[in-house]
Amino acid sequence: MSIFRNAYEGLLDICFIWKEEMKQVFHDEGVIIFFFVVPIVYPLLYSWIYNNEAVHEIPVVVVDNSHSSLSRKFARMCDASPDVKIAYYAQDLDEAKSLVSRQIVKGIYYFPSEFDKRVNRLEQATVSVYCDMSLMLAYKAVFQTAQLVSMQMGSELKTRMGKNYTSREDAIAAKPLDVADVPIFNPSGGYGSFILPGVLILILQQTLVLGIGLSAGTTREKSRYGWLIPVRRHYHGLSRIVWGKALCYLMIYAVMGVWLTIAVPSIFNFPRLAHWWNILAILFPYTLASIFFGMTVSCMVKYRENVMLLMVFVSVPLLFMTGVSWPQSSIPAFWQGVSWVFPSTFAVKAYVRMNSMGATLSDVISEYRILWLHTILYFCSSCFVYYRQVNRARQETIERLEEKKEALV
Amino acid sequence: MLTRLYHIILRELNIIRDNHIYWFCMVLFPLAIVIFFTSLMDDGLPKSMPVGVVDLDNTSTTRALAQRLDAFQQSKVVAHYPSASEARRAMQHNEIYGFLYIPKGTTEKLLSSRQPKISYYYSYTTLAAGALLMKDLKTISTLGSAAVGQATLRARGATDQQIQTLLQPIRVDLHQIVNPWTNYNVYLTTMLVPGMFMLFIFMISAFSLGNELKFSTSKKWLEAADQNMTLALIGKFLPHTLIFLAVVFAYEWYVFVHLGFPHNGRGWTLVLIAVMQVLASQGFGIFVFGLMPSLRMSMSVCSLWGVLSFSMAGAAFPVMGMDAPLQSLAWLFPLRHYYMLYQITVFNGYPLLEAWFHFVALGSFMLLPWLVLKKLKNAMLNYVYIP
Repeated sequence: MSIFRNAYEGLLDICFIWKEEMKQVFHDEGVIIFFFVVPIVYPLLYSWIYNNEAVHEIPVVVVDNSHSSLSRKFARMCDASPDVKIAYYAQDLDEAKSLVSRQIVKGIYYFPSEFDKRVNRLEQATVSVYCDMSLMLAYKAVFQTAQLVSMQMGSELKTRMGKNYTSREDAIAAKPLDVADVPIFNPSGGYGSFILPGVLILILQQTLVLGIGLSAGTTREKSRYGWLIPVRRHYHGLSRIVWGKALCYLMIYAVMGVWLTIAVPSIFNFPRLAHWWNILAILFPYTLASIFFGMTVSCMVKYRENVMLLMVFVSVPLLFMTGVSWPQSSIPAFWQGVSWVFPSTFAVKAYVRMNSMGATLSDVISEYRILWLHTILYFCSSCFVYYRQVNRARQETIERLEEKKEALV
Repeated sequence: MLTRLYHIILRELNIIRDNHIYWFCMVLFPLAIVIFFTSLMDDGLPKSMPVGVVDLDNTSTTRALAQRLDAFQQSKVVAHYPSASEARRAMQHNEIYGFLYIPKGTTEKLLSSRQPKISYYYSYTTLAAGALLMKDLKTISTLGSAAVGQATLRARGATDQQIQTLLQPIRVDLHQIVNPWTNYNVYLTTMLVPGMFMLFIFMISAFSLGNELKFSTSKKWLEAADQNMTLALIGKFLPHTLIFLAVVFAYEWYVFVHLGFPHNGRGWTLVLIAVMQVLASQGFGIFVFGLMPSLRMSMSVCSLWGVLSFSMAGAAFPVMGMDAPLQSLAWLFPLRHYYMLYQITVFNGYPLLEAWFHFVALGSFMLLPWLVLKKLKNAMLNYVYIP
């Protein structure tokens, strides 16, 4: 038997297993949900949820004990800002507080009675801002608006009070050192543009692992003796089985991956600074690593549902460990170590930096290498677990045959 | 009646004991989640985030500015770069979160009052990091300006009080009610951990019902309850309720007592939200299984619904910022109501009356199984498990 013939047969076996696996995917509604419905629908849903990116016109209440043109101007300027809306004027702090407790407003601007008198007496005036801290974004909007307005009105007052000769002098007196703050990446500070890239990448891994786990569970439950690998002519040779199955998943996720990482961001106008071939370069090892990771996990659980319990449980912590919501520099070393087990950690980091921060492949080369390393490691581990499965099936078959023989004798 | 109930409870306890998955999903995983989130955000605020400096001027004044930035709790100057583009590359390499750019001639212009301009580059790809670095920058620039202004004014003979007024005529006096430390742990953990609990309760409820079908023990279960579905359900889920309640109370004790998270409500509000959380989630899980009595479908729906809850709860991105249809959809998520109930009665300590809507909503989630009692019974008696 020549090498070529061997290789040809191997190829045929791989294709056969590929076909069988494909058939099974389309016959299992649980797998269809996780391979097709979730990757298609979830990104749309999440994009819709975060599509507004920022919260505008957060309602606040004003308690104006000063009743002066200055305090009214302050309130008016806050109202004119994009983030805050003066929804109510209250008589006193108690009334304002009751509005906060009824969730009607998110903050209180309080002007003490001598607000403008103090300014005119050349004393520092204060405006008190009370923030409901249950929503960070609302707190930020309420506080920052007040601060901006106070700075702006402050520089107007400064020019009025400072005895300067020219308008240029006014400008310099108000601000001797000018500062430009430049948010270079995700410049609008949009919530969707910040969280969604990470979520999209994570969806890919989680649905893959769930789908593979469910599919393996179905095979096992359908098989008479709870085997993962049928004892058939084509199912001999470890790498044939592993590659045959992997090719089936890869075929599906080639489409899903492009949908998740390229189509969805461009439909919803999320940041996409990376070239598509750079994204594909990351996506390819990531998908392979996730597939082999999924195959490894699928052999470790007994029942189909257990994989669901396991993977759903880790998805939220995984998002946090990527360093998107919580800065990586502040994640304890232990959890960083745990996060290295999952391909998603590195893929999210690479994808976010390429797509939201315009990095090139050479900037994320370490993540890229680790993803390939994951691919190799998880390929070996899935070969190992499949090897055990095949062995078990073979042994049991032999035992059964012996039993039957004995019974016949 | 009571003896029957007792038998069903005993039977359920046996099931829980024999299947490890219950032990994992009811106790071990939830507690792991508590440990995970509380230890992850132990600092409360991200501290010492790496930032860079591009100082093309390199005088004692600009160096003092960079040092002042380093002195802040949130920023830590880790590197100096020769040009802005190299600093940008360092950001793309994930080495720094932002950098301060001081162009050549800054000090000279400052001394001859020609209003120099320095820039601060940061990134909102990690929202919390971006916002906090921006805050440090604002303070730096105000301090920098003030130092110069103060010298000029003093030369003109203004008093200290006048200088203060002239530098900052209007001061914002900030009161961060309840969470004055802007502690992220307080505001994220208290939503994420209960959300995970709910996820587990949804799935375990559907799982345990589905397993009755899968291992065809459902008829025996109903027999034990004398074909009374309500009794059967109560007997089956009472042990779950008690175990979950113990876990939730352990979490509440750890977070509110041991870690000292702020809570302004009375003690009973904590008990109330715990009970409502567990019962409402169980109600939801049973209801979903009643709607589609298939193990894999109901568990899929439960898991997808549970994962979506984190976004729909509106703790991170507020519900009022979403589109109108989504605002109404948010009502269908138990976590949303739990979060509002927690936020109003426990976090802020307002009377329960202010949260009546969410209280009623959670209550109706508890009653949901009532709608599917008949269907559930039919399923348990007639359905055959198909893998």
